Amino acid sequence: MRRDVFQAIADPTRREIINLIAHKSLHLNAVADNFQISRPAISRHIKILTECGLIVIRQQGRERYCKAHLKNLHQVSKWIDQYRIFWAGKLDALELHLNSSKKTTVKPKPKNK
Amino acid sequence: MSMQPIVMERLFTASNAKVWKAITDKDEMKNWYFDLAEFRAEKGFRFSFLGGPTPEKQYLHLCEVTEVIPQKKLTYSWRYDGYEGISFVTFELFDQNNNTLLRLTHTGLDSFPKENPDFAPSNFVEGWTSIIHTGLKKHLEQ
Repeated sequence: MRRDVFQAIADPTRREIINLIAHKSLHLNAVADNFQISRPAISRHIKILTECGLIVIRQQGRERYCKAHLKNLHQVSKWIDQYRIFWAGKLDALELHLNSSKKTTVKPKPKNK
Repeated sequence: MSMQPIVMERLFTASNAKVWKAITDKDEMKNWYFDLAEFRAEKGFRFSFLGGPTPEKQYLHLCEVTEVIPQKKLTYSWRYDGYEGISFVTFELFDQNNNTLLRLTHTGLDSFPKENPDFAPSNFVEGWTSIIHTGLKKHLEQ
């Protein structure tokens, strides 16, 4: 399975985890407390992030702490993220464009039940 | 290292025909994309446009249409004049109860020279985004 920095950020929960620990190490339970999804699911995301080299786990007393490895993240912010931002902006603009021309010509369709 | 392509999907409440027109008609494209002198959804058609963070810092984009399946798929190459590398942008349209799921794929970004600070997209893509957001909003609110 692919394990690199781009795989790591492909998932919104993993991006959120990175944001959480970017400036402050947190132990695993503290990370999980920030999410609605199950603890095992969070553990799995953290495992992937570790394998992708974006976070390191350090045992400290009885707790395991997650620390962001921002050096690798830098590569992402410089490259793929910029294009993601670019295309997200373009698709937003396309949506606005489609909606604006729709108003005058097409009535909204009833929603499917 | 080979970079994963960008794949983004978006559902639009518009027919495939309408979305296809928005991504291939230059008068519609200038509303949300780039203002092109000409565009034709034909294999081999070449176009170029300038984009950049500021009026002083513009990059010439060179593109060539490589695949067209009307109302379904459009692919063109995307590179920068004077720089190494070539990438490909694909728009695919899928019908979903008369709405359109658009899948955008951008491959080959890893072929661009990463170490060239002049090219590093960090600033100029942000610039584009803000132009699109503020520019288009203004246009629509007029």
